[in-house]
Amino acid sequence: MVVPIGAFIAVSAILFFIGVAGVLVRRNAVVILMCVELMLNATNLALVAFSRRAGLADERGSVFVIFVFVIAAAEVAVGLAIVLSAYRNRPTVDVDEVHALKG
Amino acid sequence: MTYDLIGAVLFALLTIGIVAAAAGVVLINRITAAALFMAFAFLCNAGMFVLLGAETIAMFQVLIYVGAITVLILYGVMFTPQSERAYGLFFQQQKWLAAILVAPIGVAVGMLSFSFRDTGRPLAGGGDLVALATSVFRDFAFPFEIASVLLLAAMIGAIVLVKRDED
Amino acid sequence: MPPGPFGLDPVLWAILRLLIAVLLAVGLVFNGALAQIYLERKIQAIMQDRVGPIHVGPWGLLQTFADAIKLLGKEDIRARLTDHWFFLAAPAIVFSPMLASYVVLPFGPGILGADLNVGLLYLTTLGSMTVLGIVIAGWASNNKYSLIGGLRSAGQLISYEVPQILSLVTVVLVVGSLSLTHIVDAQPGWQILALYLPLAFVTYFTAGLAETNRAPFDLPEAESELVAGFLTEYSGMRWGLFFVAEYGEVTVVSAIATTLWFGGWHGPWTDINPVVGPVLGALWFTLKTYFFVLVFMWVRATLPRLRIDQLMSLCWKFLIPVTLINLMVTAVLLLVFPDTHLPVAIANWVLLVLAAAAVPFFQRRRLVALRQRLAAA
Repeated sequence: MVVPIGAFIAVSAILFFIGVAGVLVRRNAVVILMCVELMLNATNLALVAFSRRAGLADERGSVFVIFVFVIAAAEVAVGLAIVLSAYRNRPTVDVDEVHALKG
Repeated sequence: MTYDLIGAVLFALLTIGIVAAAAGVVLINRITAAALFMAFAFLCNAGMFVLLGAETIAMFQVLIYVGAITVLILYGVMFTPQSERAYGLFFQQQKWLAAILVAPIGVAVGMLSFSFRDTGRPLAGGGDLVALATSVFRDFAFPFEIASVLLLAAMIGAIVLVKRDED
Repeated sequence: MPPGPFGLDPVLWAILRLLIAVLLAVGLVFNGALAQIYLERKIQAIMQDRVGPIHVGPWGLLQTFADAIKLLGKEDIRARLTDHWFFLAAPAIVFSPMLASYVVLPFGPGILGADLNVGLLYLTTLGSMTVLGIVIAGWASNNKYSLIGGLRSAGQLISYEVPQILSLVTVVLVVGSLSLTHIVDAQPGWQILALYLPLAFVTYFTAGLAETNRAPFDLPEAESELVAGFLTEYSGMRWGLFFVAEYGEVTVVSAIATTLWFGGWHGPWTDINPVVGPVLGALWFTLKTYFFVLVFMWVRATLPRLRIDQLMSLCWKFLIPVTLINLMVTAVLLLVFPDTHLPVAIANWVLLVLAAAAVPFFQRRRLVALRQRLAAA
């Protein structure tokens, strides 16, 4: 019994939904970054599933996945740098309290 | 016990792993535990890639995500200590409304995802490292250069952002 | 799937093979660690002009067993930890990738666990997973010295991965494949890759010293700094597991160096007999690997420890530019002269001499400052 491609896409969708829920629910900035990484992983899973099972027999899906890896790594680095420098300003990583631009 | 059944069993185990780990990231109060659950989700994702036949992508996944990004997030967690309290606004009053709104979307997405058809066999291309590298450096050389410039900018930006103003 | 011996069910045979492979790998790692603990003490003693262990067994050979029994008998201290499960899991996270590296090492012609055609990528991936275990060990100990030691060690490890991987990539460029068996087959007879790519070997060895937290890069676990770094709260067999993981990693780095630059299992008389030949090949492989392990120990007995900022500046300001230039020059020369490897060899030896001569140039600011201080005093 071979696993149908729909199952992989469904798992990717569930992972993406959980990531979005995490970004909306959690207040800690680092945890929000973690949930963004979960979303990017869901995208990678969908890309690889399509590229290996249902697309054209070439490499473009895998190349896209490599670029997503690169961009995710760069984004985590810059995101953490921003969180750290905001933490130095006021020792909190609670995104509800970092609203100095408001009002 | 046929050979194909192993694939289905592994897929079920990996799915449980991914969903449980992702739920753990969202629900657990202690951030370091959440970071390790995230690393476990990355590992299960790499297992999914192996199951799909893309072993080189799976190894890149472990190398980049578990080896580097998890350590980066753990550094971030340890440099921003917070007092132990509830970190999330879990399950406020809107949870039933959210469930009612998400259920049809979930059903629609499920129907959409299971509507894709495939032959069930992995395709001939893909997964081979030489072909992948040739494709990256020949057909996609320009995006590759842009990605490297982006990484350079991100690295310099991160260093500049975190540098303390030393007189 | 092939059926097993005596017509065993193929799936059962596959599971049995997996179990045997795991047991062999565990046995190899632990026996190797036993041998290396004894060798380390004896060789350090000889280099420091003393005798080393001589009481337990002939020439002190049973000293390691005495050490192991002592470690097993120690009390399992339960300090007030931040998280008990992380504390327990950290040695396992450090040990498992090292154990998994043994499956792709070519011990002899046809003697290897799995001939992955991305063998080097697999080894690199496993090397990067150790960092996670060390960060967790440092954090779970609920001890600020452990935390600092763990984070410093993680920073050191991730920094030195870069020259390590770049040196490996240089070899892959010349050989044209990531598979370890192909790399060994590309070095028949006396044409070992160390003659073509010496600079890559030197940088890989230095980065390997730093990757395994061995002297002179062992600041995170040194006894005189930070108590014992991230290992402070670990006692008894938990510490023993970290220790075995470190020796196992030393063996893996030496084995990779042997395979990539010194011909792997090649040696005299490896093809006389289909049975004796592979055994001799495994013997040559083990001898070459342990030669490099001895070089590790020799370096530990000789060189003083580097401070964390010296270590980091050595990596980022010296090793990474050197490996990058090496990679670039090798790649360009391989494109211009696709048939012969002689220009690559010449360029690499020239770069090695230039890099060795450039070391005082990198220290010139410190030398100038020293001279000024001496002149002022």
